[in-house]
Amino acid sequence: MALDSIARAAITATLAPDEVVDDPVRTRAYECDGLTGYRVRPEIVLIPRDAAGVARAVAACHRNGVPFVARGAGTGLSGGALPVADGVVISLARLRSIREVDVENRRAVVDPGVTNLEITAAVARHGLYYAPDPSSQQVCTIGGNVAENSGGAHCLKYGFTTNHVYSCEVVLPDGTLVTLGGDTGEQQGPDLRGVFLGSEGTLGITVSVTVKLLRTPETVRTLLADFPSIAVAGEVVSDIVAAGIVPAAVEMMDTLAIEAAEEAVHAGYTVGTPAALVVELDGPIEQCDSEFARVEAICDAHGCTRLHIAGSPEERARIWKGRKAAFAAVGRISPDYFVQDGVVPRTRLAEVLQRIADMGSEAGLRVANVFHAGDGNLHPLVLYSAAKGETERAEQLSGAIAELCVELGGSLSGEHGIGTDKACSMPKQFGEEDLAVMGRVREAFDPTGICNPGKVLPTPRLCGERPGRYRAHPLEEAGVIERL
Amino acid sequence: MRTIVKPTSLAEAREALLDSAGPVAVVGAGTAASWAGHLGPVETELSTTGLRGVVTHNPGDMTVAVRAGTPLRELQEELAPHGQHVAFDAARVAEGATVGGLVATADAGPSALVHGSLRDLVIGTTTLLSDGAVVRSGGHVIKNVAGFDVSKLLHGSYGTLGVLCEVVLRLHPVPGAVGTVAVACDLPEAARLAREVLSSQLEPTAVEWLSSGRLLVRIDSTAEALPARLERLTALIGGRIVDDRDLRPDSDDSDGSSVTGGDHWSEHAALTRGTAGEAVLRIGAKPSLLPGLLGRLPVGTVTAGLGTGVATVSLPVGEVAAAHTTVHAAGGTSVLRTRPVTGPDVPAWGPPPSALAVLRAVKQQFDPHSRLGPGRFDPWEIS
Repeated sequence: MALDSIARAAITATLAPDEVVDDPVRTRAYECDGLTGYRVRPEIVLIPRDAAGVARAVAACHRNGVPFVARGAGTGLSGGALPVADGVVISLARLRSIREVDVENRRAVVDPGVTNLEITAAVARHGLYYAPDPSSQQVCTIGGNVAENSGGAHCLKYGFTTNHVYSCEVVLPDGTLVTLGGDTGEQQGPDLRGVFLGSEGTLGITVSVTVKLLRTPETVRTLLADFPSIAVAGEVVSDIVAAGIVPAAVEMMDTLAIEAAEEAVHAGYTVGTPAALVVELDGPIEQCDSEFARVEAICDAHGCTRLHIAGSPEERARIWKGRKAAFAAVGRISPDYFVQDGVVPRTRLAEVLQRIADMGSEAGLRVANVFHAGDGNLHPLVLYSAAKGETERAEQLSGAIAELCVELGGSLSGEHGIGTDKACSMPKQFGEEDLAVMGRVREAFDPTGICNPGKVLPTPRLCGERPGRYRAHPLEEAGVIERL
Repeated sequence: MRTIVKPTSLAEAREALLDSAGPVAVVGAGTAASWAGHLGPVETELSTTGLRGVVTHNPGDMTVAVRAGTPLRELQEELAPHGQHVAFDAARVAEGATVGGLVATADAGPSALVHGSLRDLVIGTTTLLSDGAVVRSGGHVIKNVAGFDVSKLLHGSYGTLGVLCEVVLRLHPVPGAVGTVAVACDLPEAARLAREVLSSQLEPTAVEWLSSGRLLVRIDSTAEALPARLERLTALIGGRIVDDRDLRPDSDDSDGSSVTGGDHWSEHAALTRGTAGEAVLRIGAKPSLLPGLLGRLPVGTVTAGLGTGVATVSLPVGEVAAAHTTVHAAGGTSVLRTRPVTGPDVPAWGPPPSALAVLRAVKQQFDPHSRLGPGRFDPWEIS
């Protein structure tokens, strides 16, 4: 379905000619985000120069009933920025200024197109940093982080984007500009900022973000430890938590993920070890030292086969390089792979990994595991070969893993979002009524349904009619929740 | 005539709402009944205090699901033997405030500097809407981005959007030790010292000035590290160590309860309740603006979070409207808590936020017949 020419003219007239892209060759660059399996070429791409331009463009879309999709760096992994066929894409790529750094109040006002890491780079000389650190932080933008409520390796201790944003200026789906949130944690009524954060671009477009900055910790201590099994490494994490320690980060990798990472970046991991843990603590020196000694003792007590403590910032960076390279590195040991994202209660990590291994064997596919062990956030990488016709099987396995997480009392997504990818899996985690009320939230912000339609919430058009028979919610079966 | 219902399950609560007509007040322990807009006439009072007790506590995962009418104090006592707590220290907790009530009023205490408010600690909720719909959002895991975070809308909703029935919270370890340094000083000097502390790497949990003329700085720590950390703190800002307790279960100091004990923090809690005969206003402003702002207001008692920018002050009831205007002019927010009298001259809220239309639309979607909590957002006329 083509965009009506009158609507098209009305929308493009709100911006200068160099803010509009409609050449099919160039719009093709916007047809997908980091989830490349879904592609839709947008009719027009708008790249406004400022927030007022975004507001004018959105208002014109609203008047003409044209759907729009906001886009940052396009690094999302759930198809949240997938264009709508008869709609427009609004890119925030030109809104790239850091407007204000307020050292005394430890905050910065930034445009949505500023990358996550640029914020820290701009404030580091004041001894400050922006805490959430998604793996894509060099390229992903803060506007996208707001949309996805991005986490990162350090969110166990420091929280997610939602815990680090004071306020957002938002262009609502009717083109009006409002501020959600304020200068402090005090609220004026229901927390609209909170519900907007993580709404995956379906409630409006962020045009300015006031982020909280933290004082850099006095010291950081990082260790890399090998263990005879994933289960033992899991026990180590449990004991660290039981000792009352909240590590800045706890990451786990399995044999396959280590093999891939080592092949790619030679970060000093032990090839062949069944499991490796990266544990990082930070804080005042005395605090950090007392806790770090305890972590070392816990590792030893569990038969750690190798314990490497980073002796310098360079060594620490090297350990993290191995961990962060793992995703891409898997490309070295497999022609194709899917990255999955799911969460289980941390105490069920060993169980979920065993089940994933079994499911992998059954499907005849290898699964590498890299995960944030502190908060139970898994990133299984399903390896396959498209050339050998394994794509469909791999996709099914990957989807089944996410749904397994829900079955074990967890979530379909810890940080990559629902987007297009998992909208149809939402009924596995939420009941019809839950989803209907989420629909009411959307209705309140976007009554005409033009703001990133088709994402997050399942629709019959997208997912087919759902079966009428009632299926008990997994938590209900476990006796955790009651059903009316 | 007002009918009082006290359901003991989600199903009963739903029945009670569907069986009644007309406006409804959702009431917890009643510790914040006078906060925000004055409740208009209601036919039904739905007490949540029958929805009580822990549903599931998973110590290994550091999460707890609790019925919303449970007093947080009670929950903390139940968690203490596991060395865990909800990292939250609003003054009202000691008065028996319920988990649901604390969420609905967006309350917070001094440690919000590090841990935020309950919005930052709630990971899931079950909420009943006035038309009988039940929504679960979030879940039982800390990290979760599936679906809209409806829980956030209930935070600060003052019982106008739905009835919180169950809340899932993230827990933190009770620190091994806690210490407080007090410095006798006026507010401008306290602000200067607070800047020193906050730009250091000592990582205080709370930095509060009290109108009794003292700055309190609290450190949560391992027991081994506390002496050195307190020493560095006093070297930086002077003052003296007024509290220094080992909270480990086998220690002599441990009373098995909270990090917020000690006379000094009790005094802080008392000051947030204000002065008899005066109104109490809760103010938020950029920390750097707070001392100047408080200097321009005719305040009586004050607690001022110099890192959070959140202050609780008492002032003459006739000054409330002007105070809202002054705070708003500084870009801040203000809401009335206690007041000796009500009326249009004592507005609960300052000028409305720019997203007022969205607040109204959310209210319309969640409570289409405007049954819940009439008046709580007056004078904004949200419903």
